[in-house]
Amino acid sequence: MLKQRPFLIETLTAIGLIAAPFVLPHLGFAPNTVNRILVWGLFGLGFDILFGFTGLLSFGQSAFYGTGGFVAAYLLTRAGFGNVLVALIIGMIAAAATGYVIGLIALRRTGIYFAMITVAIAEVFYFVEFNPLSDFTGGENGLPGVPMPSFNLGFTTIHFTDGWSLYQFIALCYFIGVIIALRIVRSPVGAIFSAIRDNPLRATAVGHNIHGYKLTAFVIAAAYAGFAGGLLGVLQAFMPPDAFTFDTSGQLVMQTAIGGRGTLFGPLVGAAVWLFLQDFLQAALDLGAAWKLVLGVVFVLLVCFLRGGIVGGLADLYRLVSGKRARKEAEQQTEIGAARPLPAPMQAREVAHPAYSGPILKATGLTKRYGGLVANSNVDFSVDQGELRGIIGPNGAGKSTFFKMLTCEIAPTSGQIVFEGRDITGLKVTEVCQLGLTKSYQVNQLFTGLTVRQNLTIAALAELRGKFRLDLFRKLANVKGLSEQVEHTLALVNLTARADTQVAELAYGEKRRLEIGLALATSPRLLLLDEPLAGMSPRERVETVKLLKSIARGRTMIIIDHDMDSLFELVQRVTVLQEGRVLLDGTPEEIRTNAAVQEAYLGGVNGEIAA
Amino acid sequence: MSLIEVNGLNSYYGDSHILFDVAMRVERHEVVALLGRNGAGKSTTLKSLMGVVTPRSGTIRFDGIDIAGRRSHRIAQAGMQLVHEERRIFGSLSVEENIVLAGFTAPKRWPLERIYAMFPRLKERRNNRGTELSGGEQQMLAIARALVRNPKIILLDEPFEGLAPVIVHDLVRACRELAAAGQTIVLVEQNLAATLALAQRIYIINNGHIVHEGPAQELKAQPELLQRYLGV
Amino acid sequence: MISWPNLVSQLFNGLALGALLALISSGLTIIYGTLGVLNLAHGAMFMIGGYAGFVAYQYTGSFIVAVIAGSLFVMLLGVLMERVIIRHFYHRPHEDQLLVTFGLGICFVEIVRLIFSSQSQVVSPPPLFQGITNLGFMYYPTYRLAVVGIVAIALGALFLVLYRTRLGMIVRAGIEDSVMVDSLGINVYRVFMVVFGIGAMAAGFAGIVNAPVVSLTPGVGDDILVETFVVVVIGGVGSFPGAILGGLIAGEIISVTSMFNPGYAYVMLFAAMTLVLVVRPHGLLGVQGRE
Repeated sequence: MLKQRPFLIETLTAIGLIAAPFVLPHLGFAPNTVNRILVWGLFGLGFDILFGFTGLLSFGQSAFYGTGGFVAAYLLTRAGFGNVLVALIIGMIAAAATGYVIGLIALRRTGIYFAMITVAIAEVFYFVEFNPLSDFTGGENGLPGVPMPSFNLGFTTIHFTDGWSLYQFIALCYFIGVIIALRIVRSPVGAIFSAIRDNPLRATAVGHNIHGYKLTAFVIAAAYAGFAGGLLGVLQAFMPPDAFTFDTSGQLVMQTAIGGRGTLFGPLVGAAVWLFLQDFLQAALDLGAAWKLVLGVVFVLLVCFLRGGIVGGLADLYRLVSGKRARKEAEQQTEIGAARPLPAPMQAREVAHPAYSGPILKATGLTKRYGGLVANSNVDFSVDQGELRGIIGPNGAGKSTFFKMLTCEIAPTSGQIVFEGRDITGLKVTEVCQLGLTKSYQVNQLFTGLTVRQNLTIAALAELRGKFRLDLFRKLANVKGLSEQVEHTLALVNLTARADTQVAELAYGEKRRLEIGLALATSPRLLLLDEPLAGMSPRERVETVKLLKSIARGRTMIIIDHDMDSLFELVQRVTVLQEGRVLLDGTPEEIRTNAAVQEAYLGGVNGEIAA
Repeated sequence: MSLIEVNGLNSYYGDSHILFDVAMRVERHEVVALLGRNGAGKSTTLKSLMGVVTPRSGTIRFDGIDIAGRRSHRIAQAGMQLVHEERRIFGSLSVEENIVLAGFTAPKRWPLERIYAMFPRLKERRNNRGTELSGGEQQMLAIARALVRNPKIILLDEPFEGLAPVIVHDLVRACRELAAAGQTIVLVEQNLAATLALAQRIYIINNGHIVHEGPAQELKAQPELLQRYLGV
Repeated sequence: MISWPNLVSQLFNGLALGALLALISSGLTIIYGTLGVLNLAHGAMFMIGGYAGFVAYQYTGSFIVAVIAGSLFVMLLGVLMERVIIRHFYHRPHEDQLLVTFGLGICFVEIVRLIFSSQSQVVSPPPLFQGITNLGFMYYPTYRLAVVGIVAIALGALFLVLYRTRLGMIVRAGIEDSVMVDSLGINVYRVFMVVFGIGAMAAGFAGIVNAPVVSLTPGVGDDILVETFVVVVIGGVGSFPGAILGGLIAGEIISVTSMFNPGYAYVMLFAAMTLVLVVRPHGLLGVQGRE
């Protein structure tokens, strides 16, 4: 959005933090309130990476907030540790380590299961803190006497005491937290986080180990929570046991949703609204205990009507005002782009072992049973390097199941699949994609919340970085070869003019091309296309056939489609499946004139059914 | 007046345009078949009639009322039934429960005996759960579930797909009995022999457009038409 | 410290708690199974059942009236909640459903806090069940004994509704394939509304029956909600038998562990849940693909 000015957000944050002590008191904010807002905001930075960016809604963040807080507070009070900053960092590390272990359990499941498990985890930590570990945590009393930070600079020692003085320390921590969070969400890992939120299935299929990345997001959130928990103890000079309560997790979730998920600053805004309203409603309006009800109602209304929260709503407003102009420009560009020169064909990635010269794919005895139903039985299938192969067959012939087995989305009941001389039977779809075999889907599987360019970036990253890599602080622009690959793919699928458009705004034909582009951006040597022409108008079909021809150079492709005319024009050989078996294998001409194939499709027009 | 009259029907799957200005009609007591290749829009047509897919535009007059855009329980209550391609049997319910459940809101029901007389296999397996049935038995149950509501029209989506010839034979016979008794049927089927044996009139649909309409007899005499729209 | 009477009495406590959890969890699980919405306000429903019953009890002095009034009130609340809010969330992502029910739960708790304050209310057991019963080998509070019976009857009634009535048949079919139910002429949205009402009622009923055992506070539903989640994860989401099995397991784990050290009750519960997740990720009686 603000790509042209790279440090704009950082600068604005710094200005805001510096200005706050001069402005906020006039708005009725006490320094202590501002400090608490910052602690919540810091806590929320990590949570927003987990929830807003990666799409994992956890109700258990109090577990890590408390863990970090109590480890730091214990070190500073009972263990006689002197250095506040080091204690905070140790607390953070403890929280992150806890997050890693808990993540291993909670991330076994997704969706509502994940949410329920995190709730249970938070509750367990609460009870553990109160009971078995009360010797260390002070039980209901918490840990009093947490010291304020001070830094010995040699010539002088800076003491951070109460109020605005402590603000400087906390604001600095928050600022560093923002910088790190921004780096993370702008890194390749951050891009993959959003891919997981939008479409975990496709993120896996283009070759990312999403379990590893989810765990990463979980640990990051735990680390932020741990550090913020420690700061809470410092701020209050006392580590309160209620840091561990479920209410803490709940408040964080609500603040994030109120402020705006997926914005990093949402939690800070949410916390400001929350704490301000709390003070305002209680003190000014004398509402007493009703303040939380008012907040609850505000929250429900926001979830119902303003999904993006306050920050998201403002961003939408900004886009509404500035967006019209941008769209007009894009439309003009599209028209100019109509008469574009054909881009150079895109090379498939280097063959890992060029010495290999046999068939690129060889399946033997492939069988898939679902209970009693046989989808494929004993299929032998072989494709040579550089070949363009079509697969046809009447409904229920088992074509899609066959494709799913080849890309290892499902495991065959029996049989073997060999890709470039290597047995890939039983591998995961991610690993197979990393080897250079991928598929475009029959029903579009796109990252719908992202732009076209971001979509292709995610696919290209899988090829350039491998299935898992923790380059959390690398800029996307510094990934070697990324922008070339993305731009090239954009040109190939003729979406350059639409590169910065959200997928949701694309026309169907454009989405279909992007679907193929996603597979293409992983530079596969073997590309499977499941009904690439499905749902296209006749004109779009012609265009797409042209596109498929251009990408076929330098790679092997297998295509399923029902549009016989287009398919036969495209491919060199056709395999006919019927009732889960290979019926015939031959050139389009042979297939067209074969009686058995006609019989399979027409189902015996002349046959009689005795009644 | 026809039992069903469809005009200018356009349906989408997500944002993919599947049906383009489909127009068709079905008379009372008629068996009409809808032919076409995979992905031509046959199932979508049936689902649009039943309200499982909501058409974006067009009218569907069913027995005098416009049902386009209505929810499917309303359409079912008006007397239409769709037997889904995937059969959609309730696996945790017994065979008899499946049938009884289907009849709950029907104004006039078939007695269970009549269902069982038509499908004796279902009587034998009446206490088995849906998950325990074979493919053929599931198909019988799916049809039985529609019939128990005594529908004015029954839409069959690929009822013979993936079944053994002997079962197909039984089902074709059951359909013939129904047709002989005056049941209006719309049939979507890949098995041409069975289709031509049952249907009186044929529509051919290609890429979401109706491209041919005529008596079944006529089609038998025009193999080039079949070749063009259904063959390879 | 561990004596036979003590163990038996704890096993009994576990049974009582387990039955209660089973009832509340069945409500949660049939709502999720049919509507696909995990109701985070389910604990609040439990709490409101208690308070509604408490009010009715004070006005009429009859415990039976209190139970009926409390349950009906929560059922109506559930129906209202489904009509006004939940219905608009069927096509929105799971996170939004979680957020909105979470928010509603907080609103309910705060409304009750506003009316009744945070102080705990004591509900005395009905006169018939007051005092202590001699079971021969041990003494046991009569009302707790009665709770086991009352909840068992409620579970039986729920079973009969689910497996022996038209409505139950529709609900079971709806858990599997609500679109098909609609195609068979049954207004599935009305079914959703009724299911939400019944599910909420199960929690509300448990709330009033449990009120004399623990004192009533606005936060009484929060812990129950967490325990319910563990029950559902152990038993399998969307499975009524799973909720009963999971409830009994959870109840016994909590009670037996509490005999040694109450602080470890949740740890053991969590350990059991983790074990189930590792060995049978879809729960003991759950079906794959429901999440």
